[in-house]
Amino acid sequence: MSRRYDSRTTIFSPEGRLYQVEYAMEAIGNAGTAIGILSKDGVVLVGEKKVTSKLLQTSTSTEKMYKIDDHVSCAVAGIMSDANILINTARVQAQRYTYAYQEPMPVEQLVQSLCDTKQGYTQFGGLRPFGVSFLFGGWDKNYGFQLYMSDPSGNYGGWKAAAIGANNQAAQSMLKQDYKDDITREEAVQLALKVLSKTMDSTSLTSDKLELAEVFLSSGKVKYQVCSPESLSKLLASIGLTQPAAEAT
Amino acid sequence: IFEYNGSAIVAMVGKNCFAIASDRRLGVQLQTIATDFQRIYKIHDKLFIGLAGLATDAQTLYQKLVFRHKLYQLREERDMKPQTFASLVSALLYEKRFGPFFCQPVIAGLGDEDKPFICTMDSIGAKELAKDFVVAGTASESLYGACEAMFKPDMEAEELFETISQALLSSVDRDCLSGWGGHVYVVTATEVTERILKGRMD
Repeated sequence: MSRRYDSRTTIFSPEGRLYQVEYAMEAIGNAGTAIGILSKDGVVLVGEKKVTSKLLQTSTSTEKMYKIDDHVSCAVAGIMSDANILINTARVQAQRYTYAYQEPMPVEQLVQSLCDTKQGYTQFGGLRPFGVSFLFGGWDKNYGFQLYMSDPSGNYGGWKAAAIGANNQAAQSMLKQDYKDDITREEAVQLALKVLSKTMDSTSLTSDKLELAEVFLSSGKVKYQVCSPESLSKLLASIGLTQPAAEAT
Repeated sequence: IFEYNGSAIVAMVGKNCFAIASDRRLGVQLQTIATDFQRIYKIHDKLFIGLAGLATDAQTLYQKLVFRHKLYQLREERDMKPQTFASLVSALLYEKRFGPFFCQPVIAGLGDEDKPFICTMDSIGAKELAKDFVVAGTASESLYGACEAMFKPDMEAEELFETISQALLSSVDRDCLSGWGGHVYVVTATEVTERILKGRMD
């Protein structure tokens, strides 16, 4: 019955649903998980890397974490090519704002303008929606540290802790149990890694399957730092999450 | 129109370092309205641009360059090389060939292996690469003379600072539209030193 209503994004179904948008969200459900946690002194973003072949040439570029501007960064889940386009759009929008107003773009406005772009693809043009969900983490002088989640429909929300991608329901409920309002950045890192390890499919958690990024203030300026594989391994070991290499299959 | 606000900028090459200096006066024809005007801007740790000429065009051009450079940094995940940046400025200026920015940029930076690079261009983007020094602004003729006389190749950072400061101060004294002190940046591979000079405050 839904077959007549799902071939065009610009048509509602009789139950009032947009099927293409929902199918897009399905696509994201197959992608690597990403978790974001808002803490008092920063935002923590953790992502699970799906492609970990030895043949893959990993240079400095990251697979799931991207910097949008000096004060905002994001984690991605979904179709990477769609994500690249949106990230580029977000970067240009942030710079245009800075050019016009000579100050950094407020995080919510950036998320809103990006979501307006995504919404356009669900209403007109006859093009399919973007198959990506984002977790935006950033700081601005109006509201301090913020975490936003956005999905293919163009909806967005501000969250204290959120998960996107595979097993996001399980991750979200775990976060609901363990999150405290006055969590610090270090505790947030530990919580994120613990939740991710429980929702990930693989048996062992090594630093080359994860990406960890933090947004925090350092001497008055916003810093976006991606954790290096060595420090990530040390972190995992200190929380007791790494399995010895001999056991991993 | 280039002489509306008054300006003086000079950049010199030393041994694995460079110095870029400007005056600090902002005027509206003969009236001085500011004595702390910034003409030299940092693009990244090893790249500086000084903009002589009409102040409003200098500020807008700088904002456009920040826009382009930040996007470059995000996409390429590295800083722009000075030579590339000079080409970018030249292209931006030529885009406005028939309604130009009334600015003369002076670009100074450390390129590959920290080799100093300086260049200037006219207001429609004609690059002038030099190995020793470049000048711009209303005091440029005096600056040419002063630099030619005082410059020696391969000066160390301290000596370079002295030379460029003397050249700047003596040239702006001969130009009524520039002066009120100087602002000098000396950049080596490891650090950036910023110094304010007190000259004839007129």
